[in-house]
Amino acid sequence: MFLFILSFLIRRLAQGALIVFLVTFVIFALLRVIPGDPTRVILGPMASEEVRENAAIELGLNKPIPVQYLSYVKDLSKGDFGKSFIRGKQGGSMGGSQDSKGLDLEHRASVLELILKVLPKTLILAGIGIFFALFISVPIGILAGLKSESFFGKLSLYLSSFLVSLPNIWIALVLILVVSVNAGLLPAFGYKNITYAFLPAIVLAIEICPVLIRAFSVSVTSNLSETFYEIGIVRGISKFNMIFKHIIRNSLIPILNLFGAQLIGMVLGGLFVVEFIFNYPGLGLLAINAVFQRDFPIIQAIAVLASSALVIINIVVDLTASIIDRRLKF
Amino acid sequence: MNNQNKQKGIFRKILSDGWKSYEMKISVTILLIILIMTVFSPILFENDPVKINIKDKFLPPFFMETGSLKYIFGTDQLGRDLFVRSLVGLKNAFIIAFLSTVGMFLLGCLIGIISGYYGKFTDTVLMRITDIQMSIPVIILAITILGISRPNAFLIIIVLVLAGWPVYSRVSRSAALAEKEKEYVRAAKILGASNPRILFFHIAPVILPPIAFVSILDIARMMIFEAIFGFIGIGVQPPTPTFGTIISSGSQYLINYWWITVVPGFLLVLTLTCLNLIGGVLERSRNKILAGN
Repeated sequence: MFLFILSFLIRRLAQGALIVFLVTFVIFALLRVIPGDPTRVILGPMASEEVRENAAIELGLNKPIPVQYLSYVKDLSKGDFGKSFIRGKQGGSMGGSQDSKGLDLEHRASVLELILKVLPKTLILAGIGIFFALFISVPIGILAGLKSESFFGKLSLYLSSFLVSLPNIWIALVLILVVSVNAGLLPAFGYKNITYAFLPAIVLAIEICPVLIRAFSVSVTSNLSETFYEIGIVRGISKFNMIFKHIIRNSLIPILNLFGAQLIGMVLGGLFVVEFIFNYPGLGLLAINAVFQRDFPIIQAIAVLASSALVIINIVVDLTASIIDRRLKF
Repeated sequence: MNNQNKQKGIFRKILSDGWKSYEMKISVTILLIILIMTVFSPILFENDPVKINIKDKFLPPFFMETGSLKYIFGTDQLGRDLFVRSLVGLKNAFIIAFLSTVGMFLLGCLIGIISGYYGKFTDTVLMRITDIQMSIPVIILAITILGISRPNAFLIIIVLVLAGWPVYSRVSRSAALAEKEKEYVRAAKILGASNPRILFFHIAPVILPPIAFVSILDIARMMIFEAIFGFIGIGVQPPTPTFGTIISSGSQYLINYWWITVVPGFLLVLTLTCLNLIGGVLERSRNKILAGN
């Protein structure tokens, strides 16, 4: 058993490392192929062509892309994510209006520090959001799955069709208007304490809920039609026990698989937009601003982190799924 | 051939089963009304979607005390009719969403069935490409590509297709894997049919229709993405109205003139709910009928 897990882990980690390597390369190359010169953003529009070229040489941007990528990976292996092109150590942006003498890389913030500073806030937001989503969708999904032809089946169809139709940009502003502006219940913009995470988390939960409700109800329904359910009933196990001990346990596997690929992707995508709307200083806002400002090192680091997180979560999910359901092999 | 005829029967069965439910009938009716309004909005409504009319700015929608039926949804900060703007925005969003869904369906299913049918090395390479595409967040990809110059509808469709195809390639791959072991495929092979012929004339007609039903849900999803792009500033550029730009420009006046942001959103939510209900009902009918077979 232990050896199985070990060989499974090694194989999956190797595959995962390859995926992270390739995803990062795609983003790395895309940033450099698509027009939008970071030295223009760093030095401002007034910088002379000569100064700009010197900056490009100093940043290594004039070399061929594969060469740049290899040296980036070499730095990465030492744990060095590089320094931001734009952000200063004090936190503000330094680009644009600078006098155009050239680069001053010493005064730029380290990418790793920038990310570590905002990561906890994003984790808080994601955690609360997922909690809200589970709180609403688990009971509805299970009830809808148990009685798919009844009122709950219809309710889950209506509710998930409605929730999935609420664009996050719109429902966010409606909530800001109703909850913050009119009722004065929760703060809306920025971050000072954990209450600032509630409204964005609700928007995030609205986005995740329909997927979860559907997944739970489909999964419970399909388990009900399996023979083990009827056999259990015939052998005298009560319906209640059958549902709570066996059906729900087996239903968790597809949900877990969903958590792996689709849901984490959705949470990530949702976080970017939600943080942007609420001006919530997390990873998503950092990423969006970095892309607009052509701040390559930050975008690359976030690509590395996001794809690694996805890979690791997928491995953990597959491992847990095989522990819950012993029929699955590694 | 027999198999394909059976498939056509299933296609019709799903549609007629779905049509039995009244939420389907209601959704289709509402969508048709909205569709007619958007297509004929220049004839039906006299107000111009982009004409600035400062003396009529910040007029409230009709249901408020000072509102009038001349501007059903009220006007924005430049005095433009929000109702007509919403209709035009809806039309553009739908066209972009529809074309990108068709694109991701074709690209994803092409890659998926090739991957599933040929297997081995082809399969490994194509599926790893799918994994890589799935690991790149849509918004990052979108801003990287669209953030550069004036993004146009064509570029937006390309980005949405890139973001959406992996799901289709996974689903169609597993369908193709199951299908290629079936007798009729082997029979076609023995009769000397080439691989592309089997793929496109025998396997594709069988596995694509059930997947197509679900893509209605993706049209709605893509319309939301189009709105998000507009909100971030990387969508179709002004003066062409889009929901994203209407909502983002209205958000600056949220406290005093809330309707600019809120009211157009209702039209979008109504449209999307109808689309999603149709997709949801059809999906249930499909699962029911496929399970019954």
